[in-house]
Amino acid sequence: MDSLRQIFFQECEEQLAELESGLLEIEGGSEDPEIVNAVFRAVHSIKGGAGAFALEDLVRFAHVFETVLDEVRKGRLSTASPVTETLLRAADVLADLVRVARDGGNVNEERIHTSADELAALSGAPIGANAEPEEEVSFEDFGFTPVAMDFPVFDDIAVVDTVSVEAEAEPDATTYTISFRPHPGLYTNANEPVVLLRELSRLGDAQIVCDTSTIPTLEELEAEGSYLAWTITLTTTHEEDDVRSIFEFVDGDCDLEIITGNAASSNDEPAGVDDDIAALLARVRGEFTEPVDESASPAASAADVVVGLAGSATAETAAAAIPSTPIIEAEAAKPTPEAAKTPPPAKAEKAAGSEAPSTNQTIRVDLDRVDRLMNLVGELVINQAMLSQRLTDAGLARDSEFATGLDEFEQLTHDIQEGVMAIRAQPVKSVFQRMPRLVREVAAITGKKVRLVTEGEDTEVDKTVIERLADPLTHMIRNAIDHGLESPEKRLAAGKREEGLVRLSASHRSGRIVIDIADDGAGINRQRVRAIAEEKGLIQPNAQLTDEEVDNLIFLPGFSTASTVSDISGRGVGMDVVKKSIQALGGRVSITSRPGEGSTFTLSLPLTLAVLYGMVVTVAEQTLVVPLTSIVETLKPKAGDIHGFGGDSRVISMRNNFLPLIDVGRELGYRSQPADPGAGVALLVESDGGAHSALMVDAIQGQRQIVIKSLEENYGRVPGVAAATILGDGRVALILDVDAIVAASRTGASNSETAFALAG
Amino acid sequence: MSRTGKSSRTGTRRTAKKRLQLPEVLDLTAAAPLAQSFITRRGADLTIDASQVRRVGAQCMQVLLAAATTWKTDGKKLSLEKPTEEFLEGSHLLGLRLEDDLAVGEPV
Repeated sequence: MDSLRQIFFQECEEQLAELESGLLEIEGGSEDPEIVNAVFRAVHSIKGGAGAFALEDLVRFAHVFETVLDEVRKGRLSTASPVTETLLRAADVLADLVRVARDGGNVNEERIHTSADELAALSGAPIGANAEPEEEVSFEDFGFTPVAMDFPVFDDIAVVDTVSVEAEAEPDATTYTISFRPHPGLYTNANEPVVLLRELSRLGDAQIVCDTSTIPTLEELEAEGSYLAWTITLTTTHEEDDVRSIFEFVDGDCDLEIITGNAASSNDEPAGVDDDIAALLARVRGEFTEPVDESASPAASAADVVVGLAGSATAETAAAAIPSTPIIEAEAAKPTPEAAKTPPPAKAEKAAGSEAPSTNQTIRVDLDRVDRLMNLVGELVINQAMLSQRLTDAGLARDSEFATGLDEFEQLTHDIQEGVMAIRAQPVKSVFQRMPRLVREVAAITGKKVRLVTEGEDTEVDKTVIERLADPLTHMIRNAIDHGLESPEKRLAAGKREEGLVRLSASHRSGRIVIDIADDGAGINRQRVRAIAEEKGLIQPNAQLTDEEVDNLIFLPGFSTASTVSDISGRGVGMDVVKKSIQALGGRVSITSRPGEGSTFTLSLPLTLAVLYGMVVTVAEQTLVVPLTSIVETLKPKAGDIHGFGGDSRVISMRNNFLPLIDVGRELGYRSQPADPGAGVALLVESDGGAHSALMVDAIQGQRQIVIKSLEENYGRVPGVAAATILGDGRVALILDVDAIVAASRTGASNSETAFALAG
Repeated sequence: MSRTGKSSRTGTRRTAKKRLQLPEVLDLTAAAPLAQSFITRRGADLTIDASQVRRVGAQCMQVLLAAATTWKTDGKKLSLEKPTEEFLEGSHLLGLRLEDDLAVGEPV
């Protein structure tokens, strides 16, 4: 039960994402009917699954939602902006309901009511019914209200008057013969025939016959198998579309055949109806119904000529039933251009819909298994390095056969590693998709108008990175809207569009993923930032700071620009926390800001947390790894470039710049005496906020791909050390945490702590 | 349907082993355990108690039907008693005529 529930909620997440992205496309002006269908299907699937788990609140709301979407799908409701806004709000409410159903907690009843009422108003359902949804009104009662409502309208309006009303208010009942045989997959996907059959019988008079002939005995029975099949004879005033839509989300999980019925209904056609009107009716039906699957209706083959012209399920039925009525002749004789044009797009759309699911096959795999595989591949890489080391030690590495073999092996391990990392890689879409909702909410609270543009959603990055990206991104987008964008009045006064723009984009750049959060607001108010930093004692009042340095002040702990703590940005989380969490992922944050034009926050993150490219160096006979991403350049310093700078500190002169020289051996407590700078190598590194410093090491061994082994998991946190790795010779090497080393050297205070931790 | 009713019935089941109490929810996940409980009760007359059923699913009905077939093959008697309205509605929706396969008692 739990695993099924889990699958259901996972699928809900997917459906909700689909729903939201579809709605956003519709909002963006797309009129592709396939998108509307996808949106409808998403809500319908959630409703269906929720029904199977008896999540009634969810079912009830999804049903109201679905009814409105159905109106949109049928072209009866336009997707003008107030409608899409309502739909987007409803999508948010639906997401809340799903979350509550999964995690428990309270739903905001008022929001649900408001949204349900809005929806009901759109679909024309009686509002009263939705206003008190938790009362006696069960979700069954909501069924297909719009159709029922249209009957009186039909009585009042002349038949020729409006096309849609006629199509809608078709009073004739049609009989469909539906044969339905579920595949085991239908059950696995948490669908329930009882639910489907109940919906069917709600459409009209249903005679359900169950074929139990394939039921085996208990020993042979697979409890999770599918043995039952049904034949339903349904007499209904609904169109075939409505019947088909019930089975929409089990499409592919069952054998389904819908045969449009018998002559009985057609004979009921009022005898007094004028031939012209009858022809018109048939034509109208042709425009509003999809053609039935020809194979599903062998009886209709004789009427194929007519179908080609009218493309109408109903006309086809009529043809099959009364092959030589004047209606058909009239239809064939004067096909209207509309009727002739209608069928092809409908068919094309259907074909596209049925092919889509088969193209993108996926399986769900427990993340633990992937991690285990990842770990093993890491071991393989280490093993390969060891093997190559041993061959070198034995003097065999130069032998061409061994060398070729080793090269191929190395290539293979590399490919395997990339393959496994690709399994863990996911498009950032999953995080980006949460942002439109956030933007809507924050915009509503702040009273600003905001448009969010996302780019590069398909950029892939490790799943762990994605998961840990959500919070910092959320916070930065909140900031961009709350602090970055000006109020609509100010924007107008500054000659900008009233609607602010927030751009969220992702791209791959030199083995890292770069995410930009840009707004077109006022830019950082440097004077104010500076004043606040001084006031809070973060900087000296007379400190000389470049613009860039001022901008970076906002990342300091204890800095908050909002003079009143707003309930959006000021939740006790400052930009310093954002920076910390990005750094924990091995990433960097930087800002560029232009007054009056806006600010851009740039996050640069590693694609994976499992491997990194590092420079292997020797310090006091220890082997250390410095991540390549932080190294700007390396140089062999001359003794004359090194200058003492108060106490033990030294600086190195480089191209007329003085950079702090950090003796890694001393920082980590490997030695107490300062190293001879003339004998070592300096690594020029970039740390927090783009500041440069030089790390002093004894020698460089080379560059290598390093498999990261967490030190925190296996031993404990060590200041100045980010993680560890295993080298080709089997020794453990520590990976330097460059930022921490640089920070420690500045304060000087943590020297003893570092030494102590390493000794312990 | 009351709490007391349920506990007393559980008690009956413990003493008279030829009864099988159907769970409240006969959904997808209930099918496998249900099949198992039928298998362990094979070879004797059995009365199925449907008085607690609130929700019916097709897969559990498959199990019931398979049990009916099996009991018939074994030459034993399988009957169902006290079906709830929900149970009857479910089997009706599924187009099943359970009374063809087993003796169905009066609804509760």
